[in-house]
Amino acid sequence: MTPTKSTPHRPDRLALILLAPLLVFLVVFFLVPLGEVMWMSITEPSFGFGHYGKVLLDPHYRRVVLDTLGTSLMVTTVCVLLAYPLAYVTAQIGGTIGAVLLMLVAMSFWTSFLVRTYAWMIILGNRGPVSELLKATGWDPPPLMLFTRFSSTVALTHILLPIMVMALYAVMRKIDLNIMKAAASLGATPFSAFRNIYFPLSAPGIVSGSTIVFVLCIGFYVTPVLIGSPREQMISGMIGAQIEEFLAFGEASAMAMVLLVVTVAILAVYHRFFGLDKLWG
Amino acid sequence: MTARIPVTRRTLVKGALGGTALIASPWVRRVDAAEVLYVNTWGGAWEAAAKKNIFEPFTKETGVEIRTVSPVSVAKLAAQARTGVYEFDVTTLGGGDIVRANKAGIIEPINDKAAADMGLWKDAVFQNGVASHAFATVIAYRTDKFPNGGPKNWAEFWDTKKFPGTRCLQKYAARIIPIALLADGVPMDKLYPLDVERAFKSLERIKPSIRVWWTQGPQSQQLLRDGEVDLIGIWNGRILELMDQKAPAAIEWNQAEIDRAYWVIAKGTPRAELARKYIKTAVSATALAGFCKSADYGPLNPEAFKVIPENEAKRMPTYPPHYKLAFEQDVLNAGIDFDAVTKRFDQWLAS
Repeated sequence: MTPTKSTPHRPDRLALILLAPLLVFLVVFFLVPLGEVMWMSITEPSFGFGHYGKVLLDPHYRRVVLDTLGTSLMVTTVCVLLAYPLAYVTAQIGGTIGAVLLMLVAMSFWTSFLVRTYAWMIILGNRGPVSELLKATGWDPPPLMLFTRFSSTVALTHILLPIMVMALYAVMRKIDLNIMKAAASLGATPFSAFRNIYFPLSAPGIVSGSTIVFVLCIGFYVTPVLIGSPREQMISGMIGAQIEEFLAFGEASAMAMVLLVVTVAILAVYHRFFGLDKLWG
Repeated sequence: MTARIPVTRRTLVKGALGGTALIASPWVRRVDAAEVLYVNTWGGAWEAAAKKNIFEPFTKETGVEIRTVSPVSVAKLAAQARTGVYEFDVTTLGGGDIVRANKAGIIEPINDKAAADMGLWKDAVFQNGVASHAFATVIAYRTDKFPNGGPKNWAEFWDTKKFPGTRCLQKYAARIIPIALLADGVPMDKLYPLDVERAFKSLERIKPSIRVWWTQGPQSQQLLRDGEVDLIGIWNGRILELMDQKAPAAIEWNQAEIDRAYWVIAKGTPRAELARKYIKTAVSATALAGFCKSADYGPLNPEAFKVIPENEAKRMPTYPPHYKLAFEQDVLNAGIDFDAVTKRFDQWLAS
């Protein structure tokens, strides 16, 4: 009952020393530039909140925001549907199949998304394998797949899928399969055991995976710009165009801040209900 | 899954030292070289041509090392003037961009004295840029799709009945507006000032056939080479390079749209003096002629044509028989606010 007063402080100070380089790094290379962007959004070219009014009210911008959210929702949904069975097999069946699958997911994850985007350009191209296959089956001329919402959704799904798989895998690994056996011994069918026991236990993985994938997706830049439809822009692509074509740093900064606020809001909601520390399983 | 990479203190220290050295190496290298000039380039064939004909002779002559940054970005030029951090000291800008850049005050002024020091010809300086070379946006098409020849002018390029197929143009309003007007029947000598309303009406007609709007030179080549599109408005150097590689493609010089490229110096760069020396070399007759031959540009220094053989000149947009068929961008008499038109163009694209 008489702990010395200095002991609890020791680890704190040590933690602070250990964290110091990271903190300095984050302040200098993240917080300061971020503050500058915030500042630019209300001072460039003159002081005021006009950019925000425009970004939020202009029908063109609103459409881009809605398109971005729509595409991200679609990508997240498809990711859940594809990743869930994959993560299930990897986590519960394991063995060689599980190891191979996990490696394939990791390999895909480690390949640069730029490379993967270009790969999709070839696969979905006019003279690519998919087109040739469709032609062989009598669909001639085959549909143009590149530069559509379809192509950007497919590529984004592929790029973000590993993250969803890992989020699900992390949660599924912790599920005690004896509970399933217990359910079976009490007369539950495999389906009912899955629905009532396994699925609810794995749900946190779906929520955290979806949050990460959705947040990454709304900010994605390269892939939609390279292979998306010219008619469906994403927010990041538009921020790029604002700077590249119009040198409109103020407006672009305001858009970036809106994107940041949306991201933080999503994470805040997640934190409120689940706790951010659970995001990575 | 519980396997861990064994981390000993030694490997940690080694890693940290290696990492630090790796991160620090660019700066260490920069300190080594006495004089370096950073040139913003378009990459690819452009950079190869500049390296051989401009950079290397310049380094030999002055001992100044050239390092390159690509691609060309007006946004970066503007950001540099704002932050005072220079990734490059000189770059090239087209006609529309140079007016904008000069207005925005992001390029160094080139006064009469500087022009005289550089030994420039008459009218070489425009909006504080030094005229270097010209390139053209031309009609090109796949010959396997149109074995009997493609469109001979922009009106035919717009004619989807006579020439069915997918099309591609550059996502660059300032270049597309005059082309859209030609397609709608405006004569070449009556283009300026530009009738923007009519141009957008004309663009509306071709929009469904345009699969994608290109933004980078290599991308425009890839789209035609891979057959993603059948017809394209493309830079002359890019299409000639594709034809040299035996791609089934052809070029049409009629109604070529000529743009001029100017060397400019980043506003406030500490290496402005070196940059002026560099530009002097870059636009000198021999260097420019060599560069234009390799990159399929037309030199704007009149002296350069004297050292270019006829068969090489034929690939250039300023070669007199081609120049006769072409028209030049007249940025000062366009009569429009390019920013506003570009904004409208972007919104129109997304609608």
